[in-house]
Amino acid sequence: MRRQLRSRRAPNFPHGYRYRLDDQDEVNQNYLADEEEEAEEDVRVMGVPNFEEEVNEEEQKEEEEGQGQPTGNTWWQKLQLMNEYLWDPEQRMSLARTGLILVIYFFFYASLAAVITVGMYTLLLAISPYMPTFTERVKPPGVMIRPFAHSLNFNFNVSEPDTWQHYVISLNGFLQGYNDSLQEEMNIDCPPGQYFIQDGDEDEDKKACQFKRSFLKNCSGLEDPTFGYSTGQPCILLKMNRIVGFRPELGDPVKVSCKVQRGDENDIRSINYYPESASFDLRYYPYYGKLTHVNYTSPLVAMHFTDVVKNQAVPVQCQLKGKSIINDVINDSFVGRVIFTLNIET
Amino acid sequence: MGLSSAKAAALLARDGPNALSPPKQTPEIVKFLKQMVGGFSILLWIGAILCWIAYGIQYSHDPSSSLDNVYLGVVLAVVVILTGMFAYYQEAKSTNIMATFSKMIPQQALVIRDAEKKTIPSEQLVVGDIVEIKGGDQIPADIRLLCSQGCKVDNSSLTGESEPQSRSCDCTHDNPLETKNIGFYSTTCLEGTATGMVINTGDRTVIGQIASLASGVGNEKTPIAIEIEHFVHIVAGVAVSLGITFFIIAVSMKYPVLDSIIFLIGIIVANVPEGLLATVTVSLSLTAKRMAKKNCLVKNLEAVETLGSTSIICSDKTGTLTQNRMTVAHLWFDNQIFMADTSEDHSNQTFDQSSGTWASLSRIITLCNRAEFKPGQESVPIMKKVVVGDASETALLKFSEVILGDVMEIRKRNRKIAEIPFNSTNKFQLSIHETDDPSDKRFLLVMKGAPERILEKCSSILINGQEQPLDDSTAEAFHTAYMELGGLGERVLGFCHLYLPADEFPETYSFDIDTMNFPTSNLCFVGLLSMIDPPRSTVPDAVTKCRSAGIKVIMVTGDHPITAKAIARSVGIISANSETVEDIAKRLNIAVEQVNKWDAKAAVVTGMELKDMNQEQLDEILANHSEIVFARTSPQQKLTIVEGCQRLGAVVAVTGDGVNDSPALKKADIGIAMGIAGSDAAKNAADMVLLDDNFASIVTGVEEGRLIFDNLKKTIAYTLTKNIAELCPFLIYITVGLPLPIGTITILFIDLGTDIIPSVALAYEKAESDIMNRKPRHKKKDRLVNTPLVFYSYLHIGLMQSLGAFVVYFTVYAQEGFRPSSLTGLRVEWENDNVNDLEDDYGQEWTRYQRQYLEWTGYTVFFVAIMVQQIADLIIRKTRRNSIFQQGLFRNKVIWVGIASQIIIALILSYGLGSVTALNFTMLRPQYWFVAVPYAVLIWVYDEVRKLLIRLYPGSWWDKNMYY
Repeated sequence: MRRQLRSRRAPNFPHGYRYRLDDQDEVNQNYLADEEEEAEEDVRVMGVPNFEEEVNEEEQKEEEEGQGQPTGNTWWQKLQLMNEYLWDPEQRMSLARTGLILVIYFFFYASLAAVITVGMYTLLLAISPYMPTFTERVKPPGVMIRPFAHSLNFNFNVSEPDTWQHYVISLNGFLQGYNDSLQEEMNIDCPPGQYFIQDGDEDEDKKACQFKRSFLKNCSGLEDPTFGYSTGQPCILLKMNRIVGFRPELGDPVKVSCKVQRGDENDIRSINYYPESASFDLRYYPYYGKLTHVNYTSPLVAMHFTDVVKNQAVPVQCQLKGKSIINDVINDSFVGRVIFTLNIET
Repeated sequence: MGLSSAKAAALLARDGPNALSPPKQTPEIVKFLKQMVGGFSILLWIGAILCWIAYGIQYSHDPSSSLDNVYLGVVLAVVVILTGMFAYYQEAKSTNIMATFSKMIPQQALVIRDAEKKTIPSEQLVVGDIVEIKGGDQIPADIRLLCSQGCKVDNSSLTGESEPQSRSCDCTHDNPLETKNIGFYSTTCLEGTATGMVINTGDRTVIGQIASLASGVGNEKTPIAIEIEHFVHIVAGVAVSLGITFFIIAVSMKYPVLDSIIFLIGIIVANVPEGLLATVTVSLSLTAKRMAKKNCLVKNLEAVETLGSTSIICSDKTGTLTQNRMTVAHLWFDNQIFMADTSEDHSNQTFDQSSGTWASLSRIITLCNRAEFKPGQESVPIMKKVVVGDASETALLKFSEVILGDVMEIRKRNRKIAEIPFNSTNKFQLSIHETDDPSDKRFLLVMKGAPERILEKCSSILINGQEQPLDDSTAEAFHTAYMELGGLGERVLGFCHLYLPADEFPETYSFDIDTMNFPTSNLCFVGLLSMIDPPRSTVPDAVTKCRSAGIKVIMVTGDHPITAKAIARSVGIISANSETVEDIAKRLNIAVEQVNKWDAKAAVVTGMELKDMNQEQLDEILANHSEIVFARTSPQQKLTIVEGCQRLGAVVAVTGDGVNDSPALKKADIGIAMGIAGSDAAKNAADMVLLDDNFASIVTGVEEGRLIFDNLKKTIAYTLTKNIAELCPFLIYITVGLPLPIGTITILFIDLGTDIIPSVALAYEKAESDIMNRKPRHKKKDRLVNTPLVFYSYLHIGLMQSLGAFVVYFTVYAQEGFRPSSLTGLRVEWENDNVNDLEDDYGQEWTRYQRQYLEWTGYTVFFVAIMVQQIADLIIRKTRRNSIFQQGLFRNKVIWVGIASQIIIALILSYGLGSVTALNFTMLRPQYWFVAVPYAVLIWVYDEVRKLLIRLYPGSWWDKNMYY
């Protein structure tokens, strides 16, 4: 019985536990006689089965005697057995102690977790959910285009709708939020050419300015549901990344301008911008964050590439222009600019 | 006639040149490559190769992919190569044993060949050559002397006996080492001339055999090397198993194999303390420097710690335990034994000098002495002056010089008329002087010699300045005193004098020393004087320290057992109240055989007894007697004794000085050669050289060795702690999908940057308690890295550190727009290069590069958070049991240098190199440096509580599991 116990317990303890500090003195003092000690231990182990048999006999006797008065001797032996169960002299470890270890570790980690949780909680309480504490990492604004599907290369064949159909679907999906009806219902029509500043507490809901799909004219998909892809004159929408509190210079809205990035400038002979100003109107700024500025719709600029060289890849770079706009960060080709290629086959 | 040139050439071709063959050298390149793959290097190589494989996979998908992984691989390879070169450099510094053996080879030999005397390079000597040697030559090979004129040789480099030995052409002993007609290769001929025939050349000479024995004795791994290997195994085991586990987890979580490989690299790099082995080396060499200041010159760095774990010291007697010079220890006159001061400077002679007998005795001592100080040493302290004369006479000269003042002046005033010098047949020395009393015209005859011979010549004895007839009772007293002094292992001399009657011997009397025309009997006995080579005054203290430090000191000497035992008793190797078998027999008045030999704590074993013992008997003696003296041992038996001690599992330190000691020195766990008396071969075989030959220096060495062991524990605990803080980010990254909190390069900057100086600084930490009251550590049980250390570092402090660092990381992300809740699972989108408008919690949109930059900011704050908490870790590691405030926060200034270095390096990385994108550091807002401070304080407080509980409840469960 005891051997089983031991073998079951043994793997729980790295051997290091066997050599504890209090043993060191004893061990060191007499390390020369260590082997003897071990031999003694072996003898003890060998002796154990007999010992247990005796105890069992005693116990049987007790049972036979019913509630007979146990002799002090048996009690003593029982106590010893119990003691050995709790404190195995060989393993120098006991089951009870394993439990203790687990309990102590549990409490240690629980209190650690509590401390950390409290720390994190107070931290998050201290950070406003309405306004980010710092915005320097997200500035200056990045630029992204739609349609976007994994790649900035627009390869399609005008005569094969399959090659451009997904662009159309993507654009349609994207522009759902800009539907005139929706915009008129949710948002207000605010005066153009000036910031739409809404004072008041930060947790107050903010109103958003309308940006109607119809502003995009030929690229709105309302007149030409294929956004010009069927005619080889693709529309590409450009949006500036939202940044809470970002304001373009007053009276100088951010403009978009595209040109051939590398190669012959005449590869693109004309681009139409919608809205015609090719700019993001000031009334869409500042942005107050998604918690309060719920219906905010990012302003867009649509580029209608009406006359692009066909059957050849044309790299296009669209840049934001304006004060406080940076569009030449070397490491980041999406800050203030976006580069894509048009390869329209006929 | 000698050999003919042709015959010699043939023999030379057969036997090879007369030179010691150098040992097989491991080629340097092999040694270098071993360093390149040892320790953690393998793991890092794997990491580097994985990096390149990862790049290969990336490249095959997309030829334009970034070179980051190639750079990381290169960085890892550079780290391995640099640490390997550092280790190689350290190893190369420890010198080779054969170097000085070959230096001892004589260059030229005078040989008779073709019936002609020729000078040839001694390498060309062959067996059968006839060589001539003269005083000052080194003997060119083992030779048998054919004829000799007063030839004396110095065999000390071979046998350790420092006295010149005369050589003749008679075979006096069967043992070649004992016989007088053999001269040994590489020993020196001191005086006289001899002709001999070469009997052995090169490696077949006696010294060649010892040399091959010494290099044949395997250099066993030092205890610290074993400990470090054990530690490397633990860490590598953790690294590999975690790496593989998470590789499997990653693959089963459907991560691409490429990503999984990159995780694996991260886990390996985070787990391996790259700088640690170099730190350990630096710590050891710092200790070595400190020990060199205390006269222990350490040759083999790892031996620094070996000395600390030493459990048995086998020490020489002469020169190590003793001062290596005869000194007057006791005097007997007026029926009383007086003790003389034997300390190094003799300053304190307290015996009664008022008796008239002393006046006479001192006069004899002064006059009956041929030794003289070498001129030109006026300013040198008496005890340090160089003397011409033998050891006993020197002792007497210095003794009288100290007590009486200018001896030369006294001798001048008592002019010497005649003299018979000491010889072994007479066993006495005699001289006749005029007295310095101008009114006394008698001559004074003074004599000293073997006490029993002197007593035979006496008929009266001087008691309290009065001459009394020598009766049986005084003779009895003489014998008791003689026996007592002899029993102390001292060399006893008797002194007597006689005033020659002026009528018989007028001033003009001509003394003839050949006919002895003067009385040499019926003299007046004055006193006895005994001399010993006294123990160094620092030794008893040092032995006591060894004893309280649990180190057994065994004396191994070639001296007579009685002398050896006396010295052992006086220095405490045999303590005052312990007895040998012989002592017990004497006390109980029974035969030695009847005594139960295990009752005796002490034992004196002679070389003869040792010869008859088998291994088991020797082991029994070594194990059962705590105080052992080996006397009359031959040099070779030292090796046997050392091996016996090692069989018992002890870490053995051995001192030695002769060439013959080199196998034992090599065999010992730590060989200690004597710096002054030691031969070069001994110094080469040893791991350590005692510059002052003083046993007490060994004890200071032990202290340093133990201290460095403790401090290395602290260093390792300190270094391991942050592994968890480096590892957790990867595990969380894989399982939870946060943007990576810390990059691989950043980890390297912690391991090889901010953490290096602080971990070396721990080597300067003072001991927490008296480490010399502790038992030596058990090789197998007291590990450098034990379970509590690993558990406490990894699962307690390490975990707290990671949590603290994560809080800082979350703070930064939350303040920039990403709250913890939205960070989970964000990894894929976050790392997608095509997503350039990723929305945060405020609705702001981020380009990929902006996110990347934020990620680097995350790396930097995580780095700073670990650095800040490592400061707390450094402070708590100053002690393992005591409170920091008991130890003194500011006592170890180097710790503060370390802390300053951490902060400065971090500042430079963030603000100086923050713009170098390859390093992934960014400039931080100043407040981020302080976010982790509360967690650092928490670590400190927690550790103080741990130490408090350990101190309050020694031996408790807590103590056993939390004390590392």
